[in-house]
Amino acid sequence: MAGNRWGFPDLGLGVGLRTTHYSHILSQQPKIGFFEVLTENYLDTGGRPLFILDQIAERYPLVMHGVSLSIGSTDPLDFDYLGKVKELARRTRALWVSDHVCWTGVLGRNTHDLLPLPYTEASLRHTVQRVRAVQEFLERPLVLENPSTYLEFTPNAMTEWEFVGRLAEESDCGLLFDVNNVYVSGFNHGYDPRAYIDAIPADRVCQYHLAGHTHKGTHILDTHSDHVVDPVWELFGHTIRHVGLRATLLEWDANIPAFEVVHAEVQKAQAWRDQEVTRAA
Amino acid sequence: MPHETPAAAPPLDRLQRWMQAVIVHPGTIGEALVAAEAANDVAPERLEEVVRPSWSLTAAERVDVYHGMYLLRMTEALESDYPALRHFLGAEAFEDLVREYVQAYPSRSYTLNRLGDHLPRFLAEGPARPNGEFLHDLAQAELAITQVFDEEESPPVDGESLRAVPPKGWGTVSLRPTRALRLLNLRYGVFGHLDAAKHDRPAPRPRRRATFLAFYRRAYSVMRLELGRQEHALLSALTSGVPLGEALARSAREMKESKREQAVFRCFRTWLAEGLFSAIEVGESSSAGGGQVDH
Repeated sequence: MAGNRWGFPDLGLGVGLRTTHYSHILSQQPKIGFFEVLTENYLDTGGRPLFILDQIAERYPLVMHGVSLSIGSTDPLDFDYLGKVKELARRTRALWVSDHVCWTGVLGRNTHDLLPLPYTEASLRHTVQRVRAVQEFLERPLVLENPSTYLEFTPNAMTEWEFVGRLAEESDCGLLFDVNNVYVSGFNHGYDPRAYIDAIPADRVCQYHLAGHTHKGTHILDTHSDHVVDPVWELFGHTIRHVGLRATLLEWDANIPAFEVVHAEVQKAQAWRDQEVTRAA
Repeated sequence: MPHETPAAAPPLDRLQRWMQAVIVHPGTIGEALVAAEAANDVAPERLEEVVRPSWSLTAAERVDVYHGMYLLRMTEALESDYPALRHFLGAEAFEDLVREYVQAYPSRSYTLNRLGDHLPRFLAEGPARPNGEFLHDLAQAELAITQVFDEEESPPVDGESLRAVPPKGWGTVSLRPTRALRLLNLRYGVFGHLDAAKHDRPAPRPRRRATFLAFYRRAYSVMRLELGRQEHALLSALTSGVPLGEALARSAREMKESKREQAVFRCFRTWLAEGLFSAIEVGESSSAGGGQVDH
């Protein structure tokens, strides 16, 4: 199974670092491949969060995951923010820095939501140029995640997977492939998630995300509030077959249970990894 | 799905301006779509030229998913910074407050951690509301807690630095406060409300009484002290750079004879021990000469 083009390591299984688990992690030092930190939680703070993060960075590999880059926005890039991201990556020795294919606000405002882009040539050109600028500033490849979306723009001229794939190729960035998001968006927009998975450029995928969601009947919300559902595990297996093994992370952000529960949930991914390795052998 | 005959796309900046205007609108989705800020960019009757209906939702319902989540997200963020305010007001009144507040002070930052920075000011200057002065004071205390939590670490002045001050230099020393220190002068008591929220007990009735507080950080935990009026005046003077001798003399003059020096020095020793100061600077008029003992 081939890796990604930058040689970013398969770190095995990891979970998102959350405040409620700090003391467990520091006292029990659980055996886990890596932690993913929410970038913005550690900017502009000089207190306990950074003190804890420094200790965890000493013991575990870290990757950074942001929500405020707003790569598709028509507002100017925020280089003050990017400077802080770069400094945090240096401080924590983060193996890679990721964010989302989305925009979060315009006119100086931040809605703090991951809003969908129209999948048009114009928005692709706009976003490619901004990804290049960010990569040049950060002096490292940017890794971008496919978002969960709840609407599609009528003027879309290509599918989301065409947009994301071309964005990655034309800007030379990496991809964080969120299996749950593909399932959620596939349900909301009525497409087959396997078509998405089969189309993504495997050598650009650096990491996977898994998460639970909330089914509202008419649509699914990406709430990260529950266990991963079986169809998403099936898609995860399909993804490994197409892409290969990558650092795999479980996100759990609402109704967060004890660390052991989150840890046990991500360990279910090991069976899928083993199965696909056996199949490939 | 592939789109063979895409509709004419509005320019990206217009599309984003429109979508944001709809999402952050405080009313219903119907009101948001016809509001001038949105309708100037996309006329409501042309909504489906911009947003496609899904197999289960109309175009407006799909936009409403984002619209509904906006206020929810803002409320969650402010609840975590203002738990006692939320506890006192209850869910519905707190959400109403958030709805008004984020219209006046929307997030302009990459972090939600500072979304609530203007809430005390909004409560003071915004529309009149029951218990307005108390709500302002409670919000001030909770804002101080989040600011102290996030401040840069500045190690407290240590014993070696204290010993380095020449005996005759103490009158002229100035003390630099640790960055993680906030002093408050409030009209209402708030500790009972902070504790009620923390332990999920019924919030007490607001009680008007002059209240002097210090919030600071020790070992990365936020601590609090309730001060007397004179103690607050002394600590305020010291943190604003008044030399120790002058600040102590001012404070002692305002105290009863019997309480004077011991009380003042007891406070001062407590504050030093609690790590409220990060540096001592010896003034120029000291016989030991000027200088700084810094950490």
